[in-house]
Amino acid sequence: MKGEKRKVILKEKKVEIPLAKEELEVVGKQVIRKDGYEKVTGRLKFGADFDKAGFLHGKVLRSPHAHALIKKVDVEKAKALPGVVAILTAEDVPGRNGFGAIIPDQPVICGEKVRFIGDGVALVAAESEEAAIEALKLIDVEYEPLSAVFSPVEAMKPGAPKVHENGNLLTTVRIRKGDTEKGFQEAEVIVEQTYSLPFVEHAYMEPDVAMAIPHEDGTITVKGPMQAPFTVRRNIAPVLHIPISKVQCVQTHLGGGFGGKEDSSIDIGVRAALLAWKTKRPVRMEYEREEVTLSTAKRHPMIIQCKVGAKRDGTLTALEGTIYNEQGAYASLGPIIPPAGGTHAHAVIMLPGPYVIPHVKVDGYLVYTNHPYGGAMRGFGAPQVNFVHESIIDELAEALQMNPYDLRMKNCFELGSVTATGQVLDQSIALKETMRSAADQFEWFKRWRPPPSKEEVEKVEKRRGVGMAIGWYRTSIGTFSDGCGANVYVHEDGSVILHTGITEMGQGSHTVLAQIAAEELGVRIEDVRIVVPDTDIVPEAGPTVGSRSTTLMGNAIIMASQAVKASILEAASEILGVPAERLVARNRLIFDRDDQTRGVEFKEAARRALATGKRMMGQGWWAPPRPSFDVETGQGYPYFVYTYNTQMAEVEVDTKTGHVEVIKVVACFDIGRAINPILVEGQIEGGIMMGLGYAMMEEVLLKEGKVQNLNFQDYMIPTAMDAPEIVPMILEDPNRYGPFGAKGIGEMPNIPTAPAIINAVANAVGVRIRDLPAHSEKVFHAMRGRRG
Amino acid sequence: MKKSISFVLNGEPVRAEIEPHLTLLHLLRDELELTGTKEGCGMGECGACTVLLDGRPVNSCILPAMEVDGKNVTTIEGLIDAQGNLHPIQKAFIEHGAIQCGFCTPGMVLSAKALLDENPKPTEEEIRNAIAGNLCRCTGYLQIVQAIKAASNQ
Repeated sequence: MKGEKRKVILKEKKVEIPLAKEELEVVGKQVIRKDGYEKVTGRLKFGADFDKAGFLHGKVLRSPHAHALIKKVDVEKAKALPGVVAILTAEDVPGRNGFGAIIPDQPVICGEKVRFIGDGVALVAAESEEAAIEALKLIDVEYEPLSAVFSPVEAMKPGAPKVHENGNLLTTVRIRKGDTEKGFQEAEVIVEQTYSLPFVEHAYMEPDVAMAIPHEDGTITVKGPMQAPFTVRRNIAPVLHIPISKVQCVQTHLGGGFGGKEDSSIDIGVRAALLAWKTKRPVRMEYEREEVTLSTAKRHPMIIQCKVGAKRDGTLTALEGTIYNEQGAYASLGPIIPPAGGTHAHAVIMLPGPYVIPHVKVDGYLVYTNHPYGGAMRGFGAPQVNFVHESIIDELAEALQMNPYDLRMKNCFELGSVTATGQVLDQSIALKETMRSAADQFEWFKRWRPPPSKEEVEKVEKRRGVGMAIGWYRTSIGTFSDGCGANVYVHEDGSVILHTGITEMGQGSHTVLAQIAAEELGVRIEDVRIVVPDTDIVPEAGPTVGSRSTTLMGNAIIMASQAVKASILEAASEILGVPAERLVARNRLIFDRDDQTRGVEFKEAARRALATGKRMMGQGWWAPPRPSFDVETGQGYPYFVYTYNTQMAEVEVDTKTGHVEVIKVVACFDIGRAINPILVEGQIEGGIMMGLGYAMMEEVLLKEGKVQNLNFQDYMIPTAMDAPEIVPMILEDPNRYGPFGAKGIGEMPNIPTAPAIINAVANAVGVRIRDLPAHSEKVFHAMRGRRG
Repeated sequence: MKKSISFVLNGEPVRAEIEPHLTLLHLLRDELELTGTKEGCGMGECGACTVLLDGRPVNSCILPAMEVDGKNVTTIEGLIDAQGNLHPIQKAFIEHGAIQCGFCTPGMVLSAKALLDENPKPTEEEIRNAIAGNLCRCTGYLQIVQAIKAASNQ
């Protein structure tokens, strides 16, 4: 294993290193993305760019109350408005009045009560957008306000207002490993702290849109930027009370998703479909930016108490944690999908961090409130808990007077380590190597000094500091249903069509998946066309989440490619008179591996394969090794492989204002195998910048349940001026279950950035921020507090 | 009451009868069917709707279309030549991984063009400044900065 690891600093483009076994043609290369031309010329059509002619305009009337009973909805005045075609209320829903990625607890149209500001109470379809907006104003809703609850801790108390009938505690997940009481007795130093993380908005650049087109034959098509078209389809069918086979969901290219469009495309898709179904007319809905921020899912806020104990030499003995995970009004992607799916289980599983700890106890509560709801957002519960374990490890290092690098190195995972859930990490784990490589590149040991005293901080106007954080992230989603399929069709001219339900949202999945198909078939990437995911055409793929696309779908594509390639090789064998087992397909040629002068073009073999009646398509279906997890004990093998990462940050803090500037981030990843290094670099840099926003500026501000910062004028995300120097590095410790050794990369870069930055702030000015974001004012007050 | 305006759009003269409150963005997207210009926020904060007005970048989502009367407007559709060849900035964006979802890309490319037309050899700081009004949630900006640098032959 060791000899196969490759170290690459992406910036220096040192990627043309010969591979361990055989030279690959397409995989591992800086292949430019397939959709680049369409995107850079503005020709690529996003959902909002399709012709609006013939569509009615759909709108949602939204609740101004965080919690209220609906006493009466009077739609008569609105109905009478010229241009209005339909006003729908709860009783107009033909089937199930509920949707949701896991539990359908969110009403398509609220009938009895509303649970957050932004809940939908009526739907409008009109000939013009103006008429639809006017109609919203004419709908008269009588509410009876109820007392509301806005904190998960309050919501768990007896007598708290009930957001849902069955109470506010949605899910509890625990880890019980060893005996923490004993572990803390063995400890010589104990650190205990509480951390809190805010609601964060995905801020994908493309607002949500959906187009629903009903057909004469009783079927319906819904188009839009869907991160998970199959999940949208699964929700539309029961709402309309028709079989899944009558619902077609077609993805339009996503202008960013980051987990958000897994949920929001259900919300807008179900509502557009309902309006189209009832009016028998095509309906188009578009949420404005403010509406997206007001009403769609966000990253879960959490309050986390954590306690960690260690021997004087730094050996960890125990960890305890309690997570109050705020779900908000609806379940979205919070609860369990057996055995270990859902944001909440993932957060609990990840809280102990990538450390060997003999005694662990975690209690995680997922709680409804009357806030907007938490859903999937890049990292899926991990950014929150990573901030906690990487902050407390640094606090422990300070208490032990150790270099935080050494404390991590002493305790973190390596080959053969056992996690808090009892999982043995038996392959593809180069966490320690990522630490060493990052430290070399960053010159950690030259630059790290113990945090300064108050007096030292006061001496200068600007102080620099360094911080680090490590992390791990799953590939796959930990559900029993994590399988995915692919179809590969070879045509008689050697061109290829690939059917995959994995969506392209900017991450480059359709380039990477085409590379995998091209490599396996022995054609060029330009020979492979990926059909836009359409649930009528492509096999079930599950959602495009969990950093699972390259690995899981990659395997399905390899299987499908092999199936059809057998025909092509058989045809080539007939042409060449060489046994098929001796044939190698590469770069549009098929040749005898023992005599490379004997060969035939791929397309010629394809032509013969068709002409002689051979199979011209291949199907593949791949699911990861079956996961296991017990929610009461937290024991099991929830995810089959993990990506590992070390990030090191340098910051400069203005000691007069509290302003933090991130100077540099070095980030080293063990990703198994980079199928496309230029796209991996994009994932790393983009993820780190999102993490920088989480650390320093992003927070959905809520007042009595109402979002205060609905647009980009006051919901700040990083700009080009905020971008530090980033050195992305990868290590390749092959994943035995991955295509060409690959594992996931999409979410990992977003995770350790915030604690690395916050640890660097603490290192620079000696104050520790335990509630994100660490904007200037907060850092300033923390410094002033320290000065007394 | 509709008003008549004339302007040059991507090198071609255009006349339009418009409502006085119509924004340039909606004139382009809805009336002229040029959908390469995107709407991300509708209030001039994200830069996805950036077009060039007499060579200067403007947020078309908050610009009344009336104001382009007699002026020169360039949108992303005007950047490729008649043969479909890409502008050097567009080429550099593709080659340097400066595109992910592509939603900010048209606006970003036009901001870069305005910069390089005025300042052919910008420093990295000047590049960052020039695109500071164009939000991108995918790339982290660094590959975009590299692309613009490369397009300026530096």
